[in-house]
Amino acid sequence: MIRKNYRLGFLVLMVFAFLALNAQQRFPKPEFESGYEQPNTTTPEPRTAGMEVFDVIVLFGVMALATWLILKKRSRRGVLWLSVFTLLYFGFYRNGCICPIGSIQNVTLALFDPGYKISITVLLFFLLPLVFALFYGRTFCAAACPLGAIQDLVVIRPISVSSWVRKTLSFIPHIYIGLAILFAATGTDFIICRYDPFVGIFRTDGPYLMIGLGIAFLVLGMFFARPYCRVFCPYSVLLGFMSHFSKKHITITPSECINCKLCANSCPFDAIEAPIDEKVRTESTVRKNLRNYVIFGLLVPVWIFAGGFAVSKAHVFLSKAHPDVYLSELLIAQPELREDTENLDIQAFLESGKSMDQLVEEASVIRSKFRTGGWYLGGYLGLVLGIMLMNQFVLRKRKDYIPHKRDCFSCGRCMDYCPVGEQSGDRKSGIVKAKQ
Amino acid sequence: MQISGIFTLVVAALLLINFVQLKKYEPLESQTLNTLVAQLEEDPRNEQLKEEIRDFDMMVRKAYFTSTWQVRTGALLMLIGGVLFAGSLKVYTDLRRRIGVPDTAKEDFLKARMTAWKWLLATGILVLGMAFFAAFSSTNYLENYYPEAIAGTGPSTMDETIEVIEIVDPADTSASGALAGAIQDTATGEPGQDTGADDSAQAGDGQTTAAQQAVPVEKIHGLAEFKKHHNSFRGPMALGVSYHKNIPTSWDGGAGTNVAWKVAISKPGYNSPVIWGDKLFLAGADEEARIVSCYDRHSGQLLWEKKADNIPGSPSTMPKVTDDTGLSAPTAVVDGYRVYAIFATGDVIAFDFEGNRVWARNLGVPQNHYGHSSSLLVWNGKVIVQYDTGKSGRMLALDTKTGASVWDISRDNHISWASPILVDYAGKIQVVTNTDPTVGGYDVETGEEIWKVDVMMGEVGPSCAYADGLVYANNEYASLVAINPEPGAAVQWESYDYLSEAASPVAYNGLLYLATSYGVLVCYDAKAGEQVWEMDFGTTLYSSPMVVDGKLYIMGNDGVMHIVKADRSGTLIGEPVLGEPSYAIPAFAGGKIYIRGSESLYCIGE
Amino acid sequence: MARDKEYNRREFINRGARFTLGLSLAGVGVAAAVNAGSEKYLWQIDPFKCTQCGRCATDCVLSPSAVKCVHAYDICGYCDLCGGYFKPGVTDLDTGAEKQLCPAAAIERKFIEEPYFEYIIDEELCIGCAKCVKGCSAFGNGSLHLQIRHDICVNCNECSIARVCPSDAISRVPASEPYMIKGDFTANESGEAGA
Repeated sequence: MIRKNYRLGFLVLMVFAFLALNAQQRFPKPEFESGYEQPNTTTPEPRTAGMEVFDVIVLFGVMALATWLILKKRSRRGVLWLSVFTLLYFGFYRNGCICPIGSIQNVTLALFDPGYKISITVLLFFLLPLVFALFYGRTFCAAACPLGAIQDLVVIRPISVSSWVRKTLSFIPHIYIGLAILFAATGTDFIICRYDPFVGIFRTDGPYLMIGLGIAFLVLGMFFARPYCRVFCPYSVLLGFMSHFSKKHITITPSECINCKLCANSCPFDAIEAPIDEKVRTESTVRKNLRNYVIFGLLVPVWIFAGGFAVSKAHVFLSKAHPDVYLSELLIAQPELREDTENLDIQAFLESGKSMDQLVEEASVIRSKFRTGGWYLGGYLGLVLGIMLMNQFVLRKRKDYIPHKRDCFSCGRCMDYCPVGEQSGDRKSGIVKAKQ
Repeated sequence: MQISGIFTLVVAALLLINFVQLKKYEPLESQTLNTLVAQLEEDPRNEQLKEEIRDFDMMVRKAYFTSTWQVRTGALLMLIGGVLFAGSLKVYTDLRRRIGVPDTAKEDFLKARMTAWKWLLATGILVLGMAFFAAFSSTNYLENYYPEAIAGTGPSTMDETIEVIEIVDPADTSASGALAGAIQDTATGEPGQDTGADDSAQAGDGQTTAAQQAVPVEKIHGLAEFKKHHNSFRGPMALGVSYHKNIPTSWDGGAGTNVAWKVAISKPGYNSPVIWGDKLFLAGADEEARIVSCYDRHSGQLLWEKKADNIPGSPSTMPKVTDDTGLSAPTAVVDGYRVYAIFATGDVIAFDFEGNRVWARNLGVPQNHYGHSSSLLVWNGKVIVQYDTGKSGRMLALDTKTGASVWDISRDNHISWASPILVDYAGKIQVVTNTDPTVGGYDVETGEEIWKVDVMMGEVGPSCAYADGLVYANNEYASLVAINPEPGAAVQWESYDYLSEAASPVAYNGLLYLATSYGVLVCYDAKAGEQVWEMDFGTTLYSSPMVVDGKLYIMGNDGVMHIVKADRSGTLIGEPVLGEPSYAIPAFAGGKIYIRGSESLYCIGE
Repeated sequence: MARDKEYNRREFINRGARFTLGLSLAGVGVAAAVNAGSEKYLWQIDPFKCTQCGRCATDCVLSPSAVKCVHAYDICGYCDLCGGYFKPGVTDLDTGAEKQLCPAAAIERKFIEEPYFEYIIDEELCIGCAKCVKGCSAFGNGSLHLQIRHDICVNCNECSIARVCPSDAISRVPASEPYMIKGDFTANESGEAGA
C-alpha cells in the first residue's frame, strides 16, 4: 500500500533491476544484427539399438561355444580363453551392465508393473542362460558371465570348505533373490544392481562401496573360489534349478569312471561328489534316514507357514526401503523436519504440491504389497529350507565321482584331471602330467 | 611376479588416498575460496583480493582436475597391475600345482550330513528370528497417520453440524446485505469463539502438521463475522470502516501513557496488522527471510513466527525493491481459520492459527520497480490477489484451503500498487480495483468483469472507496471520480483539486474523506462531489484514514495520529503521538488500537 | 537290473522336472514378453521437474557425473547479467573468477553484440552440479538445464541418481527420444502454476 511515486525521470529502467526482476521467459530471444548464428544444442547419440542385438548374439555365441567346448571338445583351455573374452567384452567393454543376473529384476518389474516396458534384449538376456542351463548345465557360469569370469581368473589357492558350511551358505542366494524380487515387484529398488560388486571394477569408477566390495570379493576369491557365485548370486538359484534337471551335463570322465580319485580335489568349488561307501548304507542307517526324511517332509508345511508369517510380519520393516514409505513415515514421525531446509527430500516433497494424504495413501498401498509379498517370500524360504533339510536324509547310491549338477559351474577343470581317455590319446594330459 | 604385486599395491594405496580426498573434500567447494569471496563482498573494490581469489580459484581447479586425472590413470594402472599380478600368480601356482593327489582326508559323509542339517535348522530359526525381530522392532507410522488426522481436523469435525443459514445481521446496514448474510455463519458468540474452539481441539494433538492436510469442511465467514474482527487491510472488505466501539483518543507512545503493551517487530514491512479473535498477525521481510508473525492481542506475546521459505518458483535472491516499499508491503488477510500473506517475491502463503503451513505457492516473481504492494482479500473461500505487474494486468482467486487457482484473469491495465476492495452491490459481491487506466468491478466468484471505466492514469497507489452505491477512485496527477458500479458504469462526478498519492479515500455516512501525501485532509459530499471542508496537518502521510466509532483516524508518517470527527463539522479531536514513525494503518479491536510503528507494535488502550 | 530300474525312475523324474521347468520358463518369458517392446530405454532428466538439488553431481556411479548442463539456445535471452553465470549480487559484469557461479569454470561467456552475450557450456569441465541451472531458472529464462549425456552414461539398470532424486525427475525414456531439451515454455508455465 505504501509507496511513493518517483519522478518520471527516475523511471529510467536500469538494466539490473530489470534483469533481476524478470522471471522465466522474460527475455525474448534477441534479434541479432551482427549475423550471429545460434549454435545447436548438442545431443550425443546413445549406443544404437543394433548394438544391443549384437550383445544378445555375442551372449548366444559365447554360450554355444562354451557348451561345445565343455561337452564335445572337453577343453578347459578353451573355456579359460573364452572367459577372458567374456571378461573383456561384457566386463570391461560393456561395463558389466546388461547382465542376466540383474535382468531378474527387469523381468519381475515387467510382470508386476504394467507401465514398465521391458526391452526384448533384456528378456533374452534373462532367458537364454536359463534355457542353456536346462539343456546343458551352467555353461553360462563357465564362460559367459563376466562376474564369474573375473572371479574364476583369480582363483589361486582354493581351500576346501566343509560341506555343512557350504550347505548353510547356499541358503543365502535364496534370501537374496527373494528380496530382490520383492523389492523389484514393489518398485522399491534394484538391490542386485546396487550391490553388484564388480561393475565398479569394470568401469574403473564408482562409489566407494562398490569398489571396496569388488576388491574384497576378489581377494577372498583367491582362496574361497568364486565367493559371489557360491554365496550370493541370486541368478545361481534359477540356474541351479535348471541345471539340476539338465538334459546333458558336463562329466568328469568321457567314459567309465575308474575311481582313481585324481579329480576329487581338482574342483575349487567343492562341487564334486564322492562315491558313497556301500558300508555306510547299513540297514539301520537307511531306516533312520528314511524316518527323519519323512519327519522333515511333514515339517515342510510348518516351515512354509512359519516363514510366511514371520516375513509378512516384517513387512513394515522391509517396506521402509521404499523411498515413499520412508519419506511419509519420516514426516509423520518427525513433523518438525518440515522446517529442515537441509533435507532435500522433504523440501522437494513440500514443493511438489503433493498432499500428505496422497503420499500416505501411496505409501500404504506399497506397504500392503509388501505384506502380501512377505507371505510369498517367507513361504518360499520356508519351502526351500524344508527341502534342504529333507535332502540331508537322502541316501542315494553313488559309485562314481560326479559333479553336483546344481552347484557345478561347468568350468571344466576336473576334465583335465581325469586319466581316462576317449578314443584319441591327446586328452590324457592329466595322467601324463601326473606321471611326471 | 612380486614386482607386479608390489606395483599393484602401491598404486592401490595411492589411489585410495586420492579417492578419499576427492570424495571427502570436494575440492571445488573450497572453504578458503568461499571466505575470500565473502571478504570481497564486504570490500568490493579490493583489487588485490580479487587477484588472490582468481589465483586461488585457478589452483583449486587445477588441483581438482589433476586429482581426477590421477584417479583415472591410477585406476587404469591398478587394473593393469592387477591383471599382471593375477596372471603371474596363476603361472606360479600352476607350476607348483599338486597334481593328482588322490582323495585322502575325505570328511565322514554321514557325520557331515548330521552337522549340516543342524546348521541348516539353526539358519532357518535365525532367519525366522530376524524376521520377527524386524517385525517387532519397527513401528508402522503410517497407521498413526489417520487417527491423528481426524483429531487434527479441528473445529469443524468437532462441531456437530455445518449450518449455513440465511440470517441478516442486524448490524449490517448495507442495503443489499442479503448475500453477505447468506454466506455468513450462524455463530453468535464472542469474536474469537472459533479460535477458542480451534485451540481446544488441537491442544491434545501433538502432530497437527501431519494432520492439518486433512481438509475439513469449514463454515465460511461473511461480513457479519468480519465486522467483529479486523481481518484485512483497511478493515472488513477493505472499505476503511471499522465497527468497533470505545476506541481511545489520547495516548503518548513515547511516555507510555495509555499504552497497554509494546513489542519490538522482528522484520520490517509496510504492511498493517490484521486481527482475528485474540490473535494479531503481521508480516515482515528482509533479504534473509520472509515471515508471518502471530501475537496474542491481549498481552503482546509473540505466539509464533514462521518463515515463508522453500516455495517452488520463489527466487533465491530478492527482487530489487525501493526502501519505501520494501519486500513486505502488502497486508495479510485472515478468514477465521488461516492467515494469508503475500510478499514482493510473488510468494503467497497460508498458515493456520497454530502457525502450521497449510499451503504456499509462488505466482511468478512480479516485475515491479518499487515492489509488489497490493494487499490480499478473502471472501467465500477465496483469497483475492491483485497481481498487476509490469508484464501484465492479472488478478487471481486462490482456494483458501489448497491455494489452487479458482480463477485467474489477465487484464489490459498497467502495473498498479493499489489494493482491491470488496463491494456488495445489486446482490453481488464485486472486487473493485483501481489501475492505470481502468477502474473496474469483477465478480468475486468467477472473476468476470462486471463493469469498467478507463479513467485513471499514472502509477496508481490509492485503493478505491465505496459506500451507498458509489465507488470512488483517485490518483495523483489524475482525478477523483465517483462511479456507479454496474454494467454501463460512468463517472458520476469528478474533481481535480486534491488527489492522494498513497492513502486511500474512505466513504462514510454520505461523506468522502481523502488525505493527500502532503498532509491535507479533505471532506467531500459523497453524492454531489462538493468539497465540505479541508484541514492541513502540515505533515507527510501515506497511511489511509480509517473511520471507527464516528471518528476518522489518520496516521502521519511522523507517528502523530490525527483524530477528526467524521461529520460535516470536521472537528479535530486530538493528535496523540506514537513516538516513532508509522506508515501502517491502525487496526481496531475490543476497544484497543493496534499500531505498527517502524520499530515496534503498540497496543493503545487501558 | 535293479540299478537300471532306479536309473530309469530317476531319469523319468528328471525329465518331468525338466519339462515343468521349461514350461514355467516359457510361461515367464511369454508373460514378460506381453509387456515387452523392441525399444530400448535410457535414463533422462525432465528439466521441468528438476529442483536443482545437486545430487546429480554426487550420486552418479561415474565421477564426474554423466549429467551435464546443456544450453537450450532457443530460449536463451543472451542476457548481459546472466543468473547462471554470475554469482548473485555481482555488479561489474566481467569474467573474473570471483564472480562466476560455476565451480568448474565450465561456462564460457562470449560477447556477440551490445548488449548480448552467448554462454557456452564446456562439457569436459562441467560436473553437473546445477548451480548455474538454479541461477538461470530463478532469474532468467531457464535455458540452462541438466541432461544425462548418453555418450557418457553407462545406462545402469537402475540409475543411482534416479533413486535419490527428490523430485522424481529422472525416468526411463525410449531410446528413440533420448533427450528432453527445453524449448517449450508452455510446459514450464503450467508447471509453475500448478505448483
